[in-house]
Amino acid sequence: MAGVQVGKRIIGAEAPVIVGWENIGRVEGGPFKRFFFTWFQPAVLFGLIAFWYYAPNEWALASIGIAIGLGFKVLLLGLEWVNPRYRSWQLTWKEFATDVFYVGLGYTLVRMMGTYLGDDVMIGAVQDAFAWEKFSWFTGLPLLVQALAISMIFDFGQYWMHRGMHNWYPLWLTHAPHHYITQLNINKGAVGNPVELFLIGLGVGGFFDFLPRAFLIAGAIGMSVATYQHINVRFNTPRWWRFIFNTVEHHSVHHSRDYEATRSNYSGTWIIWDRIFGTCVDGEAELLGQEGGRRMDIGETMVYPFREGYRTTRAWLRRKLRLPEAPGAAVQPEPAE
Amino acid sequence: MSRLALPYVDRIWHASGTLELDEALSPQDAFARLDPLLRAPGTSYAVAGDTLTYSKTNPAAQDKLATFTSGTLRIENQPNGIARLVFRVRSTALLLCFLAPLLFLGFAQVGAAINAWEASAEAADKDKSADKDKDKNRPKAALHPIDKFLGAPAPEDPDAKKKDKADKKEKIPTTPAYVLAGLFLVIWMVGRALEPWLLKRALRAALAAPAGAIGSDAAPAAGQGPGPQPETC
Repeated sequence: MAGVQVGKRIIGAEAPVIVGWENIGRVEGGPFKRFFFTWFQPAVLFGLIAFWYYAPNEWALASIGIAIGLGFKVLLLGLEWVNPRYRSWQLTWKEFATDVFYVGLGYTLVRMMGTYLGDDVMIGAVQDAFAWEKFSWFTGLPLLVQALAISMIFDFGQYWMHRGMHNWYPLWLTHAPHHYITQLNINKGAVGNPVELFLIGLGVGGFFDFLPRAFLIAGAIGMSVATYQHINVRFNTPRWWRFIFNTVEHHSVHHSRDYEATRSNYSGTWIIWDRIFGTCVDGEAELLGQEGGRRMDIGETMVYPFREGYRTTRAWLRRKLRLPEAPGAAVQPEPAE
Repeated sequence: MSRLALPYVDRIWHASGTLELDEALSPQDAFARLDPLLRAPGTSYAVAGDTLTYSKTNPAAQDKLATFTSGTLRIENQPNGIARLVFRVRSTALLLCFLAPLLFLGFAQVGAAINAWEASAEAADKDKSADKDKDKNRPKAALHPIDKFLGAPAPEDPDAKKKDKADKKEKIPTTPAYVLAGLFLVIWMVGRALEPWLLKRALRAALAAPAGAIGSDAAPAAGQGPGPQPETC
Protein backbone atom coordinates (compact mmCIF):
# COMPACT_ATOMS: atom_id res chain seq x y z
CA MET A 1 0.00 0.00 0.00
CA ALA A 2 1.49 3.31 -1.05
CA GLY A 3 -0.30 5.63 1.35
CA VAL A 4 -0.74 9.37 0.99
CA GLN A 5 1.72 12.01 2.10
CA VAL A 6 0.29 14.40 4.67
CA GLY A 7 2.92 16.89 5.78
CA LYS A 8 5.99 14.82 6.51
CA ARG A 9 4.05 11.63 7.12
CA ILE A 10 2.72 8.82 4.97
CA ILE A 11 -0.83 7.97 5.97
CA GLY A 12 -2.44 4.70 4.93
CA ALA A 13 0.68 2.69 4.10
CA GLU A 14 -0.28 -0.15 6.46
CA ALA A 15 -4.08 -0.17 6.20
CA PRO A 16 -6.61 1.62 3.99
CA VAL A 17 -7.35 5.23 4.98
CA ILE A 18 -9.20 7.74 2.82
CA VAL A 19 -7.29 11.02 3.02
CA GLY A 20 -9.12 14.24 2.14
CA TRP A 21 -12.82 14.92 1.84
CA GLU A 22 -13.28 14.27 -1.87
CA ASN A 23 -13.82 10.52 -1.65
CA ILE A 24 -15.86 10.40 1.55
CA GLY A 25 -19.26 8.75 1.09
CA ARG A 26 -22.44 10.87 1.02
CA VAL A 27 -25.87 10.21 2.47
CA GLU A 28 -27.91 8.24 -0.01
CA GLY A 29 -31.69 8.36 -0.26
CA GLY A 30 -34.54 10.78 -0.81
CA PRO A 31 -34.47 14.55 -0.28
CA PHE A 32 -35.83 14.35 3.26
CA LYS A 33 -33.22 11.85 4.35
CA ARG A 34 -30.42 13.89 2.79
CA PHE A 35 -31.76 17.09 4.35
CA PHE A 36 -32.11 15.45 7.77
CA PHE A 37 -28.61 13.96 7.84
CA THR A 38 -27.08 17.18 6.55
CA TRP A 39 -28.62 19.53 9.10
CA PHE A 40 -29.14 17.28 12.11
CA GLN A 41 -25.81 18.06 13.76
CA PRO A 42 -25.94 21.88 13.49
CA ALA A 43 -29.64 21.94 14.44
CA VAL A 44 -29.00 19.95 17.62
CA LEU A 45 -25.97 22.07 18.53
CA PHE A 46 -27.68 25.44 18.10
CA GLY A 47 -30.95 24.15 19.55
CA LEU A 48 -29.25 22.98 22.74
CA ILE A 49 -27.23 26.17 23.10
CA ALA A 50 -30.45 28.20 22.78
CA PHE A 51 -32.22 25.91 25.25
CA TRP A 52 -29.59 26.30 27.95
CA TYR A 53 -29.18 29.99 27.25
CA TYR A 54 -32.85 30.73 27.87
CA ALA A 55 -33.91 27.91 30.20
CA PRO A 56 -35.39 29.21 33.48
CA ASN A 57 -33.19 28.70 36.53
CA GLU A 58 -35.44 25.86 37.78
CA TRP A 59 -34.61 23.94 34.59
CA ALA A 60 -30.94 24.81 34.38
CA LEU A 61 -29.81 21.82 36.40
CA ALA A 62 -27.12 19.22 35.85
CA SER A 63 -29.72 16.46 36.32
CA ILE A 64 -31.73 17.78 33.37
CA GLY A 65 -28.52 17.94 31.35
CA ILE A 66 -27.83 14.26 32.15
CA ALA A 67 -31.40 13.31 31.21
CA ILE A 68 -31.09 15.14 27.88
CA GLY A 69 -27.75 13.42 27.29
CA LEU A 70 -29.24 9.96 27.87
CA GLY A 71 -32.23 10.71 25.63
CA PHE A 72 -29.89 12.00 22.95
CA LYS A 73 -27.88 8.78 23.04
CA VAL A 74 -31.02 6.70 22.61
CA LEU A 75 -31.94 8.85 19.61
CA LEU A 76 -28.47 8.39 18.13
CA LEU A 77 -28.72 4.61 18.59
CA GLY A 78 -31.85 4.83 16.45
CA LEU A 79 -30.00 6.86 13.80
CA GLU A 80 -27.23 4.23 13.74
CA TRP A 81 -29.89 1.70 12.89
CA VAL A 82 -31.52 3.85 10.20
CA ASN A 83 -28.48 5.23 8.43
CA PRO A 84 -25.26 3.38 9.30
CA ARG A 85 -21.96 4.70 7.99
CA TYR A 86 -20.65 1.16 7.55
CA ARG A 87 -22.52 -2.15 7.71
CA SER A 88 -19.32 -3.64 9.11
CA TRP A 89 -19.82 -1.45 12.19
CA GLN A 90 -23.44 -2.54 12.74
CA LEU A 91 -24.27 -2.73 16.42
CA THR A 92 -24.93 -6.24 17.67
CA TRP A 93 -26.48 -7.36 20.94
CA LYS A 94 -23.12 -8.51 22.26
CA GLU A 95 -21.34 -5.29 21.29
CA PHE A 96 -24.14 -3.25 22.88
CA ALA A 97 -24.00 -5.25 26.12
CA THR A 98 -20.21 -4.89 26.20
CA ASP A 99 -20.41 -1.14 25.58
CA VAL A 100 -23.02 -0.67 28.32
CA PHE A 101 -20.72 -2.47 30.74
CA TYR A 102 -17.99 0.11 30.12
CA VAL A 103 -20.51 2.96 30.30
CA GLY A 104 -21.60 1.48 33.62
CA LEU A 105 -18.03 1.47 34.90
CA GLY A 106 -17.85 5.15 33.97
CA TYR A 107 -20.90 5.93 36.10
CA THR A 108 -19.73 3.85 39.07
CA LEU A 109 -16.10 2.77 39.46
CA VAL A 110 -14.51 5.64 37.51
CA ARG A 111 -16.73 8.14 39.32
CA MET A 112 -15.61 6.70 42.66
CA MET A 113 -11.98 7.07 41.56
CA GLY A 114 -12.70 10.66 40.50
CA THR A 115 -14.30 11.53 43.84
CA TYR A 116 -11.08 10.96 45.73
CA LEU A 117 -8.39 11.36 43.07
CA GLY A 118 -10.01 13.49 40.37
CA ASP A 119 -9.18 16.92 39.08
CA ASP A 120 -11.36 18.72 41.63
CA VAL A 121 -9.36 17.10 44.43
CA MET A 122 -6.00 17.88 42.82
CA ILE A 123 -6.97 21.45 41.98
CA GLY A 124 -8.31 21.95 45.50
CA ALA A 125 -4.98 20.73 46.90
CA VAL A 126 -3.03 23.12 44.64
CA GLN A 127 -5.31 26.01 45.56
CA ASP A 128 -4.92 25.24 49.25
CA ALA A 129 -1.15 24.88 48.95
CA PHE A 130 -0.74 28.26 47.27
CA ALA A 131 -3.75 29.93 48.94
CA TRP A 132 -5.19 30.60 45.48
CA GLU A 133 -8.76 31.63 44.91
CA LYS A 134 -10.49 30.62 41.69
CA PHE A 135 -9.89 32.96 38.77
CA SER A 136 -13.26 34.62 38.99
CA TRP A 137 -13.14 37.39 36.40
CA PHE A 138 -14.56 34.98 33.82
CA THR A 139 -18.01 35.27 35.41
CA GLY A 140 -18.30 38.80 34.04
CA LEU A 141 -17.90 37.67 30.43
CA PRO A 142 -20.84 36.98 28.11
CA LEU A 143 -22.28 33.51 28.70
CA LEU A 144 -21.35 32.15 25.30
CA VAL A 145 -17.76 33.34 25.69
CA GLN A 146 -17.61 31.60 29.07
CA ALA A 147 -19.08 28.43 27.58
CA LEU A 148 -16.58 28.45 24.71
CA ALA A 149 -13.73 29.04 27.15
CA ILE A 150 -14.82 26.11 29.34
CA SER A 151 -15.18 23.81 26.35
CA MET A 152 -11.90 24.82 24.73
CA ILE A 153 -9.87 24.79 27.96
CA PHE A 154 -11.13 21.29 28.78
CA ASP A 155 -10.50 20.06 25.25
CA PHE A 156 -7.04 21.62 25.21
CA GLY A 157 -6.15 19.57 28.28
CA GLN A 158 -7.73 16.49 26.78
CA TYR A 159 -5.78 17.00 23.54
CA TRP A 160 -2.44 16.97 25.35
CA MET A 161 -3.39 14.11 27.65
CA HIS A 162 -4.47 12.09 24.61
CA ARG A 163 -1.36 13.03 22.66
CA GLY A 164 0.72 12.08 25.68
CA MET A 165 -0.99 8.71 25.73
CA HIS A 166 0.21 8.07 22.19
CA ASN A 167 3.76 9.21 22.89
CA TRP A 168 4.69 8.07 26.38
CA TYR A 169 4.69 4.34 27.00
CA PRO A 170 3.22 4.26 30.55
CA LEU A 171 0.26 6.37 29.41
CA TRP A 172 -0.05 4.36 26.21
CA LEU A 173 -0.50 1.19 28.24
CA THR A 174 -3.67 2.66 29.75
CA HIS A 175 -4.98 3.90 26.40
CA ALA A 176 -4.08 0.91 24.21
CA PRO A 177 -7.20 -1.17 25.03
CA HIS A 178 -9.41 1.62 23.64
CA HIS A 179 -7.59 1.22 20.32
CA TYR A 180 -8.60 -2.42 20.08
CA ILE A 181 -12.19 -1.49 19.24
CA THR A 182 -12.91 -2.74 15.75
CA GLN A 183 -15.98 -0.66 15.03
CA LEU A 184 -17.42 2.67 16.08
CA ASN A 185 -20.76 2.97 17.88
CA ILE A 186 -22.25 5.63 20.08
CA ASN A 187 -20.98 4.15 23.36
CA LYS A 188 -17.52 3.14 22.17
CA GLY A 189 -16.01 6.26 23.73
CA ALA A 190 -16.50 4.57 27.09
CA VAL A 191 -14.64 1.40 26.08
CA GLY A 192 -11.26 1.17 27.71
CA ASN A 193 -9.38 0.50 30.88
CA PRO A 194 -10.86 2.44 33.85
CA VAL A 195 -7.47 4.04 34.55
CA GLU A 196 -7.53 5.62 31.10
CA LEU A 197 -11.13 6.74 31.47
CA PHE A 198 -10.16 8.41 34.72
CA LEU A 199 -7.09 10.10 33.22
CA ILE A 200 -8.86 11.39 30.10
CA GLY A 201 -11.53 12.98 32.31
CA LEU A 202 -9.01 15.16 34.14
CA GLY A 203 -9.24 18.85 33.34
CA VAL A 204 -7.93 22.20 34.52
CA GLY A 205 -11.30 23.96 34.35
CA GLY A 206 -11.60 23.81 38.14
CA PHE A 207 -9.05 26.61 38.43
CA PHE A 208 -11.58 29.00 36.95
CA ASP A 209 -14.92 30.22 38.15
CA PHE A 210 -17.76 30.30 35.64
CA LEU A 211 -21.49 30.76 35.87
CA PRO A 212 -23.32 27.40 36.22
CA ARG A 213 -25.33 28.18 33.10
CA ALA A 214 -22.08 28.55 31.14
CA PHE A 215 -21.09 25.06 32.29
CA LEU A 216 -24.40 23.71 31.01
CA ILE A 217 -23.92 25.38 27.63
CA ALA A 218 -20.35 24.03 27.46
CA GLY A 219 -21.69 20.58 28.32
CA ALA A 220 -24.22 20.92 25.51
CA ILE A 221 -21.43 21.83 23.05
CA GLY A 222 -19.44 18.81 24.17
CA MET A 223 -22.47 16.54 23.97
CA SER A 224 -23.58 17.70 20.54
CA VAL A 225 -20.10 17.55 19.00
CA ALA A 226 -17.86 15.09 20.83
CA THR A 227 -20.57 12.42 21.00
CA TYR A 228 -20.34 12.00 17.21
CA GLN A 229 -16.69 10.88 17.46
CA HIS A 230 -17.70 7.27 17.92
CA ILE A 231 -20.99 7.16 16.03
CA ASN A 232 -21.85 4.83 13.18
CA VAL A 233 -24.02 7.26 11.26
CA ARG A 234 -23.42 8.67 7.80
CA PHE A 235 -23.81 12.47 7.88
CA ASN A 236 -23.19 15.04 5.19
CA THR A 237 -21.15 17.02 7.67
CA PRO A 238 -21.00 20.69 6.65
CA ARG A 239 -17.61 21.94 5.52
CA TRP A 240 -17.37 24.61 8.25
CA TRP A 241 -18.29 22.04 10.92
CA ARG A 242 -15.55 19.61 10.02
CA PHE A 243 -13.01 22.48 9.87
CA ILE A 244 -13.79 23.50 13.45
CA PHE A 245 -15.08 20.38 15.14
CA ASN A 246 -13.94 16.82 15.54
CA THR A 247 -16.06 14.35 13.55
CA VAL A 248 -16.46 10.61 13.26
CA GLU A 249 -14.50 10.86 10.02
CA HIS A 250 -11.51 12.34 11.87
CA HIS A 251 -11.84 9.89 14.71
CA SER A 252 -12.10 6.87 12.45
CA VAL A 253 -8.72 7.87 11.00
CA HIS A 254 -7.40 8.02 14.55
CA HIS A 255 -8.69 4.49 15.21
CA SER A 256 -7.54 3.00 11.90
CA ARG A 257 -5.13 0.07 11.69
CA ASP A 258 -2.54 2.33 10.10
CA TYR A 259 0.08 3.30 12.68
CA GLU A 260 0.77 6.81 11.35
CA ALA A 261 -2.94 7.54 11.10
CA THR A 262 -3.47 6.71 14.77
CA ARG A 263 -1.05 9.48 15.65
CA SER A 264 -3.46 12.17 14.48
CA ASN A 265 -6.74 13.84 15.48
CA TYR A 266 -6.27 13.78 19.24
CA SER A 267 -8.86 16.38 20.23
CA GLY A 268 -12.28 15.44 21.55
CA THR A 269 -14.39 18.40 20.42
CA TRP A 270 -12.26 21.08 18.74
CA ILE A 271 -10.29 19.67 15.79
CA ILE A 272 -8.79 23.12 15.44
CA TRP A 273 -6.39 22.14 18.25
CA ASP A 274 -5.08 19.44 15.92
CA ARG A 275 -4.92 21.91 13.07
CA ILE A 276 -2.96 24.37 15.24
CA PHE A 277 -0.51 21.75 16.51
CA GLY A 278 -0.09 19.98 13.17
CA THR A 279 -1.69 16.64 13.97
CA CYS A 280 -4.92 16.90 11.95
CA VAL A 281 -5.57 14.43 9.14
CA ASP A 282 -8.86 14.98 7.30
CA GLY A 283 -10.30 11.72 6.02
CA GLU A 284 -11.98 8.49 7.01
CA ALA A 285 -11.21 4.81 7.67
CA GLU A 286 -13.34 1.69 7.92
CA LEU A 287 -10.85 -0.93 9.08
CA LEU A 288 -10.13 -0.19 12.72
CA GLY A 289 -8.20 -1.69 15.60
CA GLN A 290 -4.83 -3.15 16.46
CA GLU A 291 -3.10 -6.42 15.60
CA GLY A 292 -5.07 -6.83 12.41
CA GLY A 293 -8.42 -6.22 14.08
CA ARG A 294 -8.15 -8.54 17.07
CA ARG A 295 -11.02 -7.80 19.43
CA MET A 296 -9.94 -7.30 23.03
CA ASP A 297 -12.38 -8.76 25.54
CA ILE A 298 -13.36 -7.18 28.84
CA GLY A 299 -11.05 -9.32 30.94
CA GLU A 300 -7.97 -8.43 28.92
CA THR A 301 -8.99 -4.77 28.83
CA MET A 302 -9.01 -4.70 32.62
CA VAL A 303 -5.56 -6.25 33.06
CA TYR A 304 -3.73 -5.06 29.93
CA PRO A 305 -1.93 -1.98 31.33
CA PHE A 306 -0.73 -3.87 34.41
CA ARG A 307 0.20 -7.07 32.56
CA GLU A 308 2.09 -5.27 29.81
CA GLY A 309 3.66 -2.88 32.31
CA TYR A 310 4.88 -5.83 34.34
CA ARG A 311 6.26 -7.62 31.28
CA THR A 312 8.04 -4.53 30.04
CA THR A 313 9.54 -3.78 33.44
CA ARG A 314 10.68 -7.38 33.80
CA ALA A 315 12.31 -7.32 30.36
CA TRP A 316 13.98 -3.99 31.16
CA LEU A 317 15.33 -5.34 34.45
CA ARG A 318 16.62 -8.47 32.73
CA ARG A 319 18.49 -6.32 30.24
CA LYS A 320 19.91 -4.14 32.98
CA LEU A 321 21.00 -7.14 35.01
CA ARG A 322 22.21 -8.90 31.85
CA LEU A 323 19.98 -11.88 32.44
CA PRO A 324 18.69 -13.96 29.52
CA GLU A 325 15.35 -12.86 28.02
CA ALA A 326 12.32 -14.73 29.28
CA PRO A 327 10.94 -17.03 26.58
CA GLY A 328 8.30 -15.28 24.48
CA ALA A 329 9.03 -11.86 25.97
CA ALA A 330 8.63 -9.16 23.35
CA VAL A 331 8.68 -5.51 24.26
CA GLN A 332 6.96 -2.85 22.23
CA PRO A 333 9.66 -0.37 21.31
CA GLU A 334 7.21 2.49 21.02
CA PRO A 335 3.54 3.13 21.60
CA ALA A 336 0.84 2.03 19.21
CA GLU A 337 2.96 -0.84 17.91
CA MET B 1 -20.07 -39.24 36.82
CA SER B 2 -23.65 -38.20 36.17
CA ARG B 3 -24.28 -34.64 35.06
CA LEU B 4 -26.24 -32.45 37.44
CA ALA B 5 -29.52 -31.53 35.74
CA LEU B 6 -30.37 -27.88 36.27
CA PRO B 7 -32.64 -27.08 33.32
CA TYR B 8 -33.73 -23.61 34.44
CA VAL B 9 -30.22 -22.57 35.43
CA ASP B 10 -28.91 -23.97 32.16
CA ARG B 11 -31.26 -21.77 30.20
CA ILE B 12 -29.50 -18.67 31.49
CA TRP B 13 -26.66 -19.18 29.03
CA HIS B 14 -27.60 -22.18 26.91
CA ALA B 15 -29.89 -22.23 23.92
CA SER B 16 -31.18 -25.23 22.06
CA GLY B 17 -33.63 -25.87 19.30
CA THR B 18 -34.34 -27.55 16.03
CA LEU B 19 -34.47 -26.39 12.47
CA GLU B 20 -36.41 -28.30 9.82
CA LEU B 21 -34.46 -28.44 6.58
CA ASP B 22 -36.27 -27.94 3.29
CA GLU B 23 -34.54 -30.85 1.69
CA ALA B 24 -32.98 -34.14 2.66
CA LEU B 25 -29.36 -33.38 3.37
CA SER B 26 -26.73 -35.76 4.58
CA PRO B 27 -24.71 -34.54 7.57
CA GLN B 28 -21.71 -34.07 5.28
CA ASP B 29 -23.68 -31.90 2.85
CA ALA B 30 -25.24 -29.89 5.67
CA PHE B 31 -21.91 -29.26 7.36
CA ALA B 32 -20.38 -28.30 4.03
CA ARG B 33 -23.03 -25.60 3.78
CA LEU B 34 -22.35 -24.47 7.33
CA ASP B 35 -18.61 -24.37 6.75
CA PRO B 36 -18.47 -20.72 5.52
CA LEU B 37 -20.39 -19.62 8.60
CA LEU B 38 -17.80 -21.30 10.80
CA ARG B 39 -14.80 -20.05 8.87
CA ALA B 40 -14.20 -17.08 11.11
CA PRO B 41 -11.17 -15.91 13.09
CA GLY B 42 -10.81 -17.71 16.39
CA THR B 43 -13.16 -20.53 15.45
CA SER B 44 -12.34 -24.21 15.46
CA TYR B 45 -14.67 -27.11 14.79
CA ALA B 46 -14.67 -30.83 14.38
CA VAL B 47 -17.17 -33.21 12.80
CA ALA B 48 -17.82 -36.66 14.20
CA GLY B 49 -20.48 -38.57 12.27
CA ASP B 50 -23.69 -36.53 12.35
CA THR B 51 -22.45 -34.02 14.94
CA LEU B 52 -20.41 -30.87 14.53
CA THR B 53 -18.79 -29.37 17.62
CA TYR B 54 -17.45 -25.84 17.44
CA SER B 55 -15.65 -23.46 19.74
CA LYS B 56 -14.75 -19.78 19.45
CA THR B 57 -12.11 -17.75 21.19
CA ASN B 58 -12.92 -14.05 21.40
CA PRO B 59 -14.80 -13.88 18.10
CA ALA B 60 -14.88 -10.74 15.97
CA ALA B 61 -17.69 -8.26 16.59
CA GLN B 62 -19.47 -9.05 13.33
CA ASP B 63 -19.13 -12.83 13.60
CA LYS B 64 -22.68 -14.12 13.21
CA LEU B 65 -22.12 -16.67 15.96
CA ALA B 66 -20.25 -14.26 18.26
CA THR B 67 -22.71 -14.58 21.14
CA PHE B 68 -22.61 -18.37 21.24
CA THR B 69 -18.98 -19.29 21.62
CA SER B 70 -19.35 -23.05 21.72
CA GLY B 71 -21.90 -25.69 20.92
CA THR B 72 -22.94 -28.70 18.92
CA LEU B 73 -24.96 -29.00 15.71
CA ARG B 74 -26.44 -32.38 14.88
CA ILE B 75 -28.23 -33.48 11.73
CA GLU B 76 -31.08 -35.92 12.31
CA ASN B 77 -32.87 -37.75 9.54
CA GLN B 78 -36.57 -38.08 10.35
CA PRO B 79 -38.83 -40.97 9.30
CA ASN B 80 -40.56 -38.70 6.75
CA GLY B 81 -37.27 -38.33 4.88
CA ILE B 82 -36.70 -34.69 5.82
CA ALA B 83 -33.63 -33.86 7.82
CA ARG B 84 -33.49 -31.47 10.72
CA LEU B 85 -30.73 -29.64 12.53
CA VAL B 86 -30.63 -29.90 16.31
CA PHE B 87 -28.47 -27.30 17.97
CA ARG B 88 -27.32 -26.80 21.51
CA VAL B 89 -25.10 -23.78 22.07
CA ARG B 90 -23.57 -21.95 25.00
CA SER B 91 -22.94 -18.25 25.55
CA THR B 92 -20.47 -16.82 28.03
CA ALA B 93 -21.74 -13.35 27.09
CA LEU B 94 -25.28 -14.23 28.22
CA LEU B 95 -23.97 -15.65 31.48
CA LEU B 96 -21.85 -12.57 32.22
CA CYS B 97 -24.76 -10.33 31.30
CA PHE B 98 -26.96 -12.24 33.74
CA LEU B 99 -24.37 -11.83 36.48
CA ALA B 100 -23.56 -8.18 35.73
CA PRO B 101 -26.39 -6.83 37.95
CA LEU B 102 -24.64 -8.40 40.93
CA LEU B 103 -21.50 -6.41 40.15
CA PHE B 104 -23.41 -3.14 39.89
CA LEU B 105 -25.40 -3.88 43.03
CA GLY B 106 -22.02 -4.43 44.66
CA PHE B 107 -20.87 -1.01 43.44
CA ALA B 108 -24.06 0.48 44.90
CA GLN B 109 -23.32 -1.15 48.26
CA VAL B 110 -19.74 0.11 48.24
CA GLY B 111 -21.03 3.60 47.38
CA ALA B 112 -23.59 3.44 50.20
CA ALA B 113 -20.90 2.35 52.66
CA ILE B 114 -18.64 5.22 51.58
CA ASN B 115 -21.53 7.67 51.91
CA ALA B 116 -22.32 6.43 55.43
CA TRP B 117 -18.68 6.73 56.38
CA GLU B 118 -18.45 10.23 54.89
CA ALA B 119 -21.64 11.31 56.68
CA SER B 120 -20.32 10.18 60.05
CA ALA B 121 -16.93 11.82 59.40
CA GLU B 122 -18.69 15.02 58.35
CA ALA B 123 -20.84 15.05 61.47
CA ALA B 124 -17.74 14.70 63.64
CA ASP B 125 -16.01 17.46 61.72
CA LYS B 126 -18.96 19.80 61.41
CA ASP B 127 -17.46 22.88 63.04
CA LYS B 128 -14.27 22.69 61.02
CA SER B 129 -16.07 22.39 57.72
CA ALA B 130 -18.21 25.40 58.57
CA ASP B 131 -15.07 27.47 58.91
CA LYS B 132 -13.68 26.16 55.68
CA ASP B 133 -16.73 26.97 53.62
CA LYS B 134 -15.28 28.93 50.76
CA ASP B 135 -18.63 29.74 49.27
CA LYS B 136 -19.64 31.73 52.32
CA ASN B 137 -21.11 35.09 51.39
CA ARG B 138 -20.10 34.81 47.78
CA PRO B 139 -21.20 37.85 45.83
CA LYS B 140 -24.10 37.35 43.48
CA ALA B 141 -22.76 37.18 39.92
CA ALA B 142 -24.19 39.64 37.44
CA LEU B 143 -24.98 38.92 33.83
CA HIS B 144 -22.99 40.61 31.11
CA PRO B 145 -24.98 43.45 29.42
CA ILE B 146 -25.08 41.48 26.16
CA ASP B 147 -26.79 38.56 27.93
CA LYS B 148 -29.21 40.94 29.66
CA PHE B 149 -30.06 42.43 26.29
CA LEU B 150 -30.60 38.97 24.77
CA GLY B 151 -32.88 37.99 27.65
CA ALA B 152 -30.93 35.26 29.44
CA PRO B 153 -32.27 34.60 32.98
CA ALA B 154 -30.21 36.23 35.76
CA PRO B 155 -28.04 33.90 37.87
CA GLU B 156 -29.39 32.72 41.19
CA ASP B 157 -28.12 34.09 44.47
CA PRO B 158 -25.45 31.54 45.54
CA ASP B 159 -26.35 31.97 49.23
CA ALA B 160 -30.00 31.11 48.52
CA LYS B 161 -28.89 28.12 46.48
CA LYS B 162 -26.71 26.91 49.31
CA LYS B 163 -29.78 26.47 51.51
CA ASP B 164 -31.23 24.09 48.95
CA LYS B 165 -27.99 22.17 48.93
CA ALA B 166 -28.21 21.59 52.67
CA ASP B 167 -30.43 18.52 52.38
CA LYS B 168 -28.45 16.84 49.67
CA LYS B 169 -26.17 14.93 48.75
CA GLU B 170 -24.56 11.56 48.41
CA LYS B 171 -20.81 11.75 47.92
CA ILE B 172 -21.03 8.70 45.66
CA PRO B 173 -24.41 8.60 43.85
CA THR B 174 -25.82 5.09 44.12
CA THR B 175 -28.78 5.51 41.75
CA PRO B 176 -26.75 4.90 38.54
CA ALA B 177 -25.52 1.57 39.91
CA TYR B 178 -29.09 0.42 40.64
CA VAL B 179 -30.27 1.62 37.22
CA LEU B 180 -27.42 -0.26 35.53
CA ALA B 181 -28.22 -3.43 37.46
CA GLY B 182 -31.78 -3.23 36.13
CA LEU B 183 -30.57 -2.35 32.65
CA PHE B 184 -28.39 -5.44 32.49
CA LEU B 185 -31.30 -7.60 33.50
CA VAL B 186 -33.28 -6.12 30.59
CA ILE B 187 -30.31 -6.58 28.22
CA TRP B 188 -30.02 -10.21 29.28
CA MET B 189 -33.74 -10.82 28.71
CA VAL B 190 -33.55 -9.24 25.26
CA GLY B 191 -30.42 -11.20 24.40
CA ARG B 192 -31.84 -14.47 25.67
CA ALA B 193 -34.83 -14.06 23.35
CA LEU B 194 -33.17 -12.35 20.39
CA GLU B 195 -29.87 -14.15 20.01
CA PRO B 196 -31.21 -17.72 19.60
CA TRP B 197 -33.65 -16.35 17.01
CA LEU B 198 -30.80 -14.65 15.11
CA LEU B 199 -28.73 -17.84 15.37
CA LYS B 200 -31.57 -19.85 13.89
CA ARG B 201 -31.91 -17.32 11.08
CA ALA B 202 -28.18 -17.47 10.31
CA LEU B 203 -28.22 -21.28 10.31
CA ARG B 204 -31.29 -21.40 8.09
CA ALA B 205 -29.71 -18.98 5.60
CA ALA B 206 -26.49 -20.98 5.54
CA LEU B 207 -28.25 -24.29 5.05
CA ALA B 208 -30.46 -22.91 2.30
CA ALA B 209 -27.50 -21.77 0.25
CA PRO B 210 -25.22 -24.03 -1.77
CA ALA B 211 -21.90 -24.74 -0.11
CA GLY B 212 -19.51 -21.79 -0.24
CA ALA B 213 -22.16 -19.20 -1.06
CA ILE B 214 -22.45 -17.73 2.44
CA GLY B 215 -19.94 -15.30 3.81
CA SER B 216 -19.93 -12.52 6.30
CA ASP B 217 -21.28 -9.22 5.03
CA ALA B 218 -18.72 -7.50 7.19
CA ALA B 219 -15.76 -5.76 5.61
CA PRO B 220 -12.82 -8.07 5.04
CA ALA B 221 -10.26 -7.82 7.80
CA ALA B 222 -6.78 -6.58 6.99
CA GLY B 223 -4.50 -9.39 6.06
CA GLN B 224 -7.40 -11.42 4.70
CA GLY B 225 -8.35 -12.11 1.16
CA PRO B 226 -11.74 -11.38 -0.32
CA GLY B 227 -13.45 -14.08 1.71
CA PRO B 228 -13.24 -15.04 5.35
CA GLN B 229 -10.23 -17.12 6.29
CA PRO B 230 -10.03 -19.26 9.37
CA GLU B 231 -7.28 -18.95 11.93
CA THR B 232 -7.90 -22.42 13.16
CA CYS B 233 -10.26 -24.66 11.40
